[in-house]
Amino acid sequence: MKKFVHMNAMTIDEATATLGRYGDRASVIAGGTDLLGKMKAEILPTYPEALVNLKTIPGLDFIKEENGLLKIGALTRLADIASHPVIQRRYAALAEAAHRTASPNIRVMGTLGGNLCQDIRCWYYRNPHNRFPCLRKGGGRCYAIRGDNRYHSIFGGSVEEGCYAVHPSDTAPALIALNAKIKTSKRIVGIQDFFKVQVRKTTILDPDEIVTEIHVPAPKEGTRNCFLKFAVRKTIDFAIVNCAAMVSCKKGIVHAAGICLNAVHINPYRAVKAEDFLIGKEINDENLDAAAVAGVSGAKPLSHNGYMVQIAKTLIKRAVLACKPHEPTA
Amino acid sequence: MKEIPKTEARCSCPYCAATFDAFETLKAHIIAEHKSQPVPAPEGLIGLTINNENHAVFVEPGWTLQHVLHDRLGMTGAKLFCDQGVCGACTVIMDGRPVLSCMTLAIECDGKHIETVEGIAAEDHPLIEQYVKHSAMQCGYCTPGFVVTAKALLDQNPNPTLDEIREALAGNLCRCGTYPQHPKAVMEAAKDLERAREDVTRKNVTQKNVN
Amino acid sequence: MSPEKMSPKKMSTDEHSKMTELFDNLRSDKYPLKDFHHIGKRGVHRLDGYEKAAGKAIYTMDVQLPGMLYLRFLTSPYPHAEIKSMDTSRAASLPGVRAILRYDDPELPSRAEVTGLSTAEVPVLPKIAHFQGEEVGAAVVADSENIAAQALRLIKVEWEQRPFILDPVAAMGAEAPLANPEDYPDTNIAMENVVNKGDVEKGWREADRIIEFKSVRSHHTWIGPEAPCGVFRWNGAYPEVWVKHQRPHLTKRVISTWFGGIPMNRIQMHCLYQGASFGGWNTLNWSMGGHYCAAVLARRTGKPVKWTFTRREDFFGGSMDEGVCHFKVGAKSDGTITAVKATAVIANTVFPLGPLDHFIENTRIPNLFAKNTTVMINKGPNTAVRCEQNLNAQSLTLVFAHVADALDLDPIDVALKNDGAEGRDTAWLNQQKAELGFEVRDSLKECIEKGKAAIDWDAKWHPPGTKKLDNGRMHGMGFNWTHEWDDSGGSSEMAIRIERNDGTATILGMRPDNGVSAETAYCQIAADEIGMRFEDVFYNPQFDPGFFAMTPDGSTNLSINGFAVRHAARQLKQKILEAATAPRAVTQRGGFPPAFPDLTPEDLDIKESVIYVKSDPSNRMSLAEFVGLSGFRGPMTDIELSLEGAVSEEKPCFSPPLFAEGYHVQTGAYIHVRLKFCRQAHFMEVEVDTETGEVLITKVVNVNDVGKVINWDGCEGQQYGGTYMGIGRGKSEEVIHDPVTGVMLNGNLLDYKIATMLDADAIETRLVETGLGYGPYGAVGIGEDIATVVPALVGPAVYNAIGMWIDDFPITPDKVLDALERK
Repeated sequence: MKKFVHMNAMTIDEATATLGRYGDRASVIAGGTDLLGKMKAEILPTYPEALVNLKTIPGLDFIKEENGLLKIGALTRLADIASHPVIQRRYAALAEAAHRTASPNIRVMGTLGGNLCQDIRCWYYRNPHNRFPCLRKGGGRCYAIRGDNRYHSIFGGSVEEGCYAVHPSDTAPALIALNAKIKTSKRIVGIQDFFKVQVRKTTILDPDEIVTEIHVPAPKEGTRNCFLKFAVRKTIDFAIVNCAAMVSCKKGIVHAAGICLNAVHINPYRAVKAEDFLIGKEINDENLDAAAVAGVSGAKPLSHNGYMVQIAKTLIKRAVLACKPHEPTA
Repeated sequence: MKEIPKTEARCSCPYCAATFDAFETLKAHIIAEHKSQPVPAPEGLIGLTINNENHAVFVEPGWTLQHVLHDRLGMTGAKLFCDQGVCGACTVIMDGRPVLSCMTLAIECDGKHIETVEGIAAEDHPLIEQYVKHSAMQCGYCTPGFVVTAKALLDQNPNPTLDEIREALAGNLCRCGTYPQHPKAVMEAAKDLERAREDVTRKNVTQKNVN
Repeated sequence: MSPEKMSPKKMSTDEHSKMTELFDNLRSDKYPLKDFHHIGKRGVHRLDGYEKAAGKAIYTMDVQLPGMLYLRFLTSPYPHAEIKSMDTSRAASLPGVRAILRYDDPELPSRAEVTGLSTAEVPVLPKIAHFQGEEVGAAVVADSENIAAQALRLIKVEWEQRPFILDPVAAMGAEAPLANPEDYPDTNIAMENVVNKGDVEKGWREADRIIEFKSVRSHHTWIGPEAPCGVFRWNGAYPEVWVKHQRPHLTKRVISTWFGGIPMNRIQMHCLYQGASFGGWNTLNWSMGGHYCAAVLARRTGKPVKWTFTRREDFFGGSMDEGVCHFKVGAKSDGTITAVKATAVIANTVFPLGPLDHFIENTRIPNLFAKNTTVMINKGPNTAVRCEQNLNAQSLTLVFAHVADALDLDPIDVALKNDGAEGRDTAWLNQQKAELGFEVRDSLKECIEKGKAAIDWDAKWHPPGTKKLDNGRMHGMGFNWTHEWDDSGGSSEMAIRIERNDGTATILGMRPDNGVSAETAYCQIAADEIGMRFEDVFYNPQFDPGFFAMTPDGSTNLSINGFAVRHAARQLKQKILEAATAPRAVTQRGGFPPAFPDLTPEDLDIKESVIYVKSDPSNRMSLAEFVGLSGFRGPMTDIELSLEGAVSEEKPCFSPPLFAEGYHVQTGAYIHVRLKFCRQAHFMEVEVDTETGEVLITKVVNVNDVGKVINWDGCEGQQYGGTYMGIGRGKSEEVIHDPVTGVMLNGNLLDYKIATMLDADAIETRLVETGLGYGPYGAVGIGEDIATVVPALVGPAVYNAIGMWIDDFPITPDKVLDALERK
C-alpha cells in the first residue's frame, strides 16, 4: 500500500471540511472492505493522500422508524440491517440484500453507506498495479469489450459509452425498488439519481460530500418486496445478477411495481419496461414471462455474457412472483 | 511495551489546574469540561486491549490489524491467506464481533477490545478441544480463523442450529475442504458450554440449599 | 562376564525378514499384526490438533528473526517478454531498501539447480518471462514487505514484448508463435506420448455402437493457503533454512549444490507446518529459486531474508490436465467396451500422463490407443496438482458415462461389466489376488454396494432429463469409479528412539506436515508394533535428524512410511527385549545384571509401555523404569555411588541406547509394475435450475477401499476434503487469462472460486477394508484420489439432470444454459 495520512473525523463537518481541503486527493473510509482491497492491489494510477475515517463520527450508526420512514445511518453495519426484525418484516428486500452481501464477517464490517458508494467491479479495472489503464481511470479504452467479459454489462457501456463494468451492490437495487432517498451532508436525493459512474467516481457525491442517512418510505398496505441474488457460490461472491422488486396489488391486479437489477450495468438497472408491462395485470406465468422479456429487452450482451440475460429474466420473474400477495385462505 | 503505564501520582489539569488522584479521572474531566483530548497522543500510537491485556503500539497508517497482531505482537494465529477480506483466516473478535483483521486498519482500532485465537485457547474454550476431537482441520492454516468466528457466534448465540453454524462460518475458506467437521465441532462445544453453565447453576442452587 | 554373554542373541532369518520385509511390496503383507490396539481404532487424538486449533502452529510464513529482511520479486506484466534493460537506481535509493539482486548480477550463475522435481538447471533470476506474472529480472530486499513492494514499482524496465499464445490447440498450428523458444526452439509441441494396446480397429468391428465426443478442461490451480515462501539465514559460513516445500530432502540436496558446494552436514533445515500446496508449486523447476535469491541477498546484507509470494503470485501454474481430449469408444449392447481411442492436447505439462492409463490398470478393455501431445503456451507451468491422474480420472468417468448413456444402461452395470486389469477380466484379476497372497474379494462390488445403499441409487436413478422436482429443478444422479491410488515410487528412512527418563518413544525423520494427520498414523503403527500406549509415542517431523521420511506425494505416504516405521518399531522392540534380558553393563565398580535375569527375549513381551514376562505377567517393569533416569553422571544413568564406593543396588538404572531405524523403497508402480486390486466409487446427486443454469450439489457419497484403515479421521478427511476440492474444480475453478493481452484476470480468491462450506449440502463417507493393498496391513493411500476423481463426476450428474452433455469443465451456469438452449 502507498503511504497516506489518516485522520479520524469527529463530526460530519470536520470530515467534509477535510475532504474539501484535499479535493479529490482524499478518500473516506468506513468499513474499508472495498477501499483497502483497491489500495492493497494498487489498481489505480493515483492514490488517496489522505483517508478520512468516518467510523469515529458518533450518531451515524442507527436504525429507526420515524414519520413513516425507515431511517438508517450510513455507518450502520450490513449485519445489523440483515438481522433487524422490522427490516426483515417490512423491508424484506433490504434485509435479504444485506444478508446476501459478501460473507458474514464482511457484513459485520461493511456499512450501508459503503455498500452504496462502493466502486464498480471489472477484472480489468481491478487488475493489480494498474495493469489496464482503462476508460474508468481516465485512460484509453475498455479492455473488456474484446476480452473476457463474462461478468460485464449486458446493457451497454457508460463513462462516455465505453466502460462495461458493473455496479456490484446488493443493497442498491433493493433500495431503488423501495424508493429510498439518500441524505448526504449537502442534500437529499432520490436513490435513482444517486448512482452516476464517471472517471474516478461512482456516485453524484461531490468530493467534499458524504452520505449520512438512508431513508426508506414504509411500503404501503398490499405491497410486498423481495430481493434475489444469483452468484457462482452461495456466499462470498458478488452477484452475477441480482434483482429486487416491490409490487403493490389490489384484488390481484398490479397497480405499482418497482423492479431493479444490478451487476448487469455500470449503474443499477431499473427494469422499467417490466414495471410498465405489469401495471394493470395479474401476476401469472404468462405475464411474468412477458414482463421478464420486456425487462431485458434493452440487453446488448457482449461476446461472453449472453447467459446473464437469461438469468436476469429469471430473477425478474421470480422476484415479482415472490411479491404476489398470498391467496386469501378460505 | 505491554502495559499502558498507570500514573499513580496526582495529576493536574493543564487547562484549569484542578488536581485529580488518577489519570483516568483527569482524562474524563478534560473531555467533559474542556471538550478536548486530554493529552494529544503521539502520531500513530494506539492502545489495544488484546485478550484482556493492554498494549500500546506505534503504527503506520497503512498497517493492517493483521500485520500488527501477527508481525508486531507475535500473535501468529491471525493468518494471512487471501489478503483481501475473502477467506476469514485472519478473523479476530473486535468489541464482540468477528472482523477480518487483514481489512482493518490498525490505526482505527485505538481503544478497541480484541480477542484472538490465542486468548480463546488461553481460556480453555471447549471449541479448541472439540476441533481437535473432530479433527476439524488438515493443514491447519485456516483453522484459527474458523475457531475465532465460531467463538464469536457462540458468544452471540449459545445454542445455534447446524444451519446457523454453517451460515456463520460461510465466509471462512478451507482449501483442504474440512468443512463438514466444523458444524459438528461447534455444536459439541456449545453443548459443553451449556453443561458448564448448568453445573454452575446447580452448584449455586446446592450452595443456597446448604446455606 | 564373558563377551559372549554380553552380546545379544542373534535373530533368526525369519525374524529378521519380519522386521524388514526387504522391499517385497509386490505381494500382500506377509507379516501383518494380529491384534490392533490403536491402528484402525476410532477416536485417536490427532497429534497436531491442539497446536492448529489454538493458533499455536507455526508456519514458515510466520517466521520472524532478528534483523530479518523481506524479499519480493519483480513479475512480468506481459505473457512473453524479454528484459532489454533495467534501471534499479530509484528503487535502490528508496529508504528501507537494503539490496537489489538483478538478473545480470555477476554473482548469479547463468543456470543453477533450483528445482523441486528433477536435477535440471534453470535460470535463477531469468530475464525472459514466458507467462504473465512470472518472477523475472529483479529481487528486492527491504526492511518490510511493503517497502520491497514499493521499490518494485520504482524499477524501470525496458521490455521487448514477444508474440504469445494461450490456447493449446491453436499453439499446434503452423502459424502459431513460439511460446518458449529458449527451451523449445522449433515448435510448441514439447512431447508426444503414445500408448497402443491391442487393436482398436478390431474393437470397432466388434462393437455394436461407436460413441465419439470431446472433453475440455480449463486451466485450474492449487492455491495453498500459505503462499510460497522461505527464510534463508547464513549461520556464519553455513546456511540455516526454513522451507515451505513438500520435499525437504530435495531442497537440502539442491542447496548443497549451490555456491560451489555446501556440505550436507552443515545445512540446518527447518520444515515447519505447511499451509498445504497439493503438489503444485513444489514440483516446479523454479520452486527453490526464491531460496537461491534469498541466499545471495542474505549473504550480501548479513541478515536473514524471508522471501514471500503474494496471493496473486501463488497463481503460478496449474494442473496438468488443461486442454482438449477427443474420444472414440466402441461398445457392445450389453455394455462391454471393446475399444477406446483418446487423443489429448495438454498444455505446459511437466510430465504427461494419460489419458487412458486407468483403462489399462482398471478395466478388461483389450484395445486402447492413447496419444497425449504436450503443447507449450504462455501460461504458468502445469504440474501434478492433486494429482497427475486428473486427466486419467476424467477420461474414465466420461467414457463410462457416455457408454452407459448411449446403450441405455445403468452406469454401475457398465462399470462392473468392464472391471478388470490389463485387458483381462475380474476372474483373472481374482486369480492374481490369490497368487499374491490376498484374500479374494471383489473391491468394486463392495464399494458399489455400500455406495448404492448410502445414496439410495436404485430408487433415485432415472433416465437423463426425466425427473423434475417439486421445486422446479431437474434432478440428476452421477456415478464414477476407478482404482486405488497407491501408484508412485518413493522411499523413506525413519527411526524410533526410546527417550531416557520416561521411556517414551520418538519417531524421527523429517517430512512436511500438510495436514493429513499422517504423523498420528505413524504413532499408531509404532505404538501397536512396540506395544506402547499411543500417548507415549510422538512424532514431530519438522526438524532434521539427518534423514527424511517419504513426503506427501503420490499418495504413498502411508504405504512407504508405514513400512519404514513398522520396520523400525519391530527392530526396536527386539532391541528392548534383548536389552532387558542381557546384562546391562560392567563398570569399574561392578556389573549391572539383566532387568529380567535368566530369561530370553522370547519370554518377554511389551504391552501398554510395560515389559512383562509372558508366563508371569506380574513380573513386569515399565519402559520408564527400564531406561532409567538421566542424572549428574551423564545421560545414561542416575546411579550415585555410596560413600563406600559401592554401586547402589536398589535401583540399578542403566540401559543401552534404544534406537532402531527402518527404511522402505518402492520403485514406482505405474502401469505394469503391479496390479491394483482396490477400487473406489463415488456418487453424486444434483439439482439443476434450468432457468439460471445453477447446479446445486445436494449429496455426495464417497466409497473408498483403503485396504485397511489406519487412521479413520485421516481417511475420512481426505474423502470429504477431496470432495470439496473436487466440487470446486468441477463447478467453478478456472484461471482466466485475457485473450488479448495474456494477463491473468482472476488471480485472487474472490474471482478464482474454490468451494465454500455451502457448496455441498451433504457428504457421506464410506470406507471399505478388503486388505487388498500392498502397504502395511493391506493398506493403500487415499491422499489425492478423491479430489482427482470427483471433479468429472459433476459431468454425468448434470447430464442425468438435463439430458445434455457438458463435457467442458468447470461446468459453470453459462455452459448449462447454453446446453439447455441447444436441446
